[in-house]
Amino acid sequence: MSTLVQTPDTEKKSVSVPKPYWNPYLSGIGLGLVLLLSFVIMGRGLGASGAFSSGISYVMEKIAPTHTKANEFYGEYLGDGTKNPLKDWLVFEVLGVFVGGFISGALGGRIKKTIEKGPNVTDKKRLIFAFIGGALMGIGAKLARGCTSGQALTGGSVLNLGSWAFMMCVFAGAYALAYFMRRQWL
Amino acid sequence: MNIPFFKYGMFGDEVSLIVAFIIGIGFGFFLERAGFGSARKLAAQFYFTDMTVLKVMFTAIATAMLGVYYLSIIGWMDLSMVYLTPTNIMPQVVGGLLLGFGFVIGGYCPGTSCVSAATGRTDGIVYLLGVVFGIFGFGEVFPLVSGFYNSTLMGQVTLPQFFNLPYGVVVFLVVLMAVGAFVAAEWGEKNMAKKAEAKK
Amino acid sequence: MKNLTLNNKLAFIAIGLGFIGLFLGNPYKGNLVSMNTTELGMIVEGKVDHVSVQDLADWIIQAKMDFKLIDLRTEQEYNEYHIPNSDNITLTALEKTSIPKTEKIVLYSEGGIHSAQAWMLLKAKGYKGVYILFGGLDDWKDQILFPKLSETATPEQIAKFEKIKEISKFFGGTPSVGGTADVKTETPKMEMPKLDNQSGNKAPDGAPKKKKEGC
Repeated sequence: MSTLVQTPDTEKKSVSVPKPYWNPYLSGIGLGLVLLLSFVIMGRGLGASGAFSSGISYVMEKIAPTHTKANEFYGEYLGDGTKNPLKDWLVFEVLGVFVGGFISGALGGRIKKTIEKGPNVTDKKRLIFAFIGGALMGIGAKLARGCTSGQALTGGSVLNLGSWAFMMCVFAGAYALAYFMRRQWL
Repeated sequence: MNIPFFKYGMFGDEVSLIVAFIIGIGFGFFLERAGFGSARKLAAQFYFTDMTVLKVMFTAIATAMLGVYYLSIIGWMDLSMVYLTPTNIMPQVVGGLLLGFGFVIGGYCPGTSCVSAATGRTDGIVYLLGVVFGIFGFGEVFPLVSGFYNSTLMGQVTLPQFFNLPYGVVVFLVVLMAVGAFVAAEWGEKNMAKKAEAKK
Repeated sequence: MKNLTLNNKLAFIAIGLGFIGLFLGNPYKGNLVSMNTTELGMIVEGKVDHVSVQDLADWIIQAKMDFKLIDLRTEQEYNEYHIPNSDNITLTALEKTSIPKTEKIVLYSEGGIHSAQAWMLLKAKGYKGVYILFGGLDDWKDQILFPKLSETATPEQIAKFEKIKEISKFFGGTPSVGGTADVKTETPKMEMPKLDNQSGNKAPDGAPKKKKEGC
């Protein structure tokens, strides 16, 4: 198993040694089975960004009801007003993601208050980039009707044409910009 | 077998939320197991030093795809009842590119940033705030972009339909492509490690 | 190295499953379909998919049952009355039906809407000979079960009516002679023919027995 230790050198020196990550293929099969389970039980796949849209729509409706109701985008997540937009499948799923991530991290000794970054970038810069990246991701995910989980994983496994086109573009976009971002990570 | 259970009315909306929570736990658990709580590990994908993203993603897709395919073939599952997002090709291409930019700039995608935040990463939390801000911005300008957002609608299209190939053939091709990518990834990682070694 | 063999094994399993998948066919089981809209348009325009109630009545009497007659209404409605020899299959059930695709099918419902929808569905699933009972059960009632002869009828119409009267009696109907404005014929006082032992889909030889029970 020694070949599997892929934790960066800096982390190895920390007091509690985090356990190595799983074999990626086994994690992948686990992830695939969770996705399959979701198809089998619910007839739908996984998602993430949709939950945030519901949350934002909910908050916006509380702050500026008329403005929000007039907006088609928020309206999609608010529904006809008979149901609380937070009582949504994706919202509960994403809550589970937090819990599941925490459980796995705790079991692996990987819970740690830190900032993930390359050695040649300041914390502040890294956090600014994280925010910009997140914002771009939010816009992109809404435009594409889903993010890596909702489109690439879910749509990919039912061979959805749009999802595969989307997935290819994600990799293309990331690789195209990777050179300019190298100082942040390498 | 009446799969998917929910679509056949085996339980109601309330129960489905509990199911959502449990499935979410599984999702988050395996994301973290794979190392997706770390932006460095995720971003390494784009510098060819660690191809875990590709390996995990394509293994997951292949697993779920084969599962769905075989369950449908033996007649336990009605695949037509599994939700298929309609394709709007241009918004999805542009959205995909933006998402790719965001991925390499921020280091996460929405799902993995949740895991990252849950395991204490400050950058994951900030990234999530960014996602929220981005969606909010998109919502505010939505009336201006709704034309593009709804353009080039192709309906519910699958790869087999689009390429006019039997479903089973596409399944096989995806598996072949995935395994081919894994072999290349393993070889590439070894090569990169050797190079790094030589530099020292 | 041990770990690598696990990866190799997984890869072989995946390729194996994918390879077998090559020969297994379409998981959608024909639920996602493509249609030739030109062909459909020509069929609809040419009305070649229509069967008149008179034709249907003739076929049943002559025991020319080389087709499947499907009643699309609810089970309750079906149990109250249905055209002899029909089977009750609702729209949702029709989607999962296992009738051979080569079978000739005649659809009927109350009017025409459900039949048209079912027609589309079956056509989309690749059924070749699908027909609609034109006018549905409404026409069946008006023209077969309760035909009317107006007092001002021409001799031709009377001659025709005599023939229909026989058909009507065969199906347990109530032919009536009277003015078109006659309230009696307008109000639904006429009782639907009773169905003995719920055997509408029995062979035609059982049908004659029923003809007197109508009223």
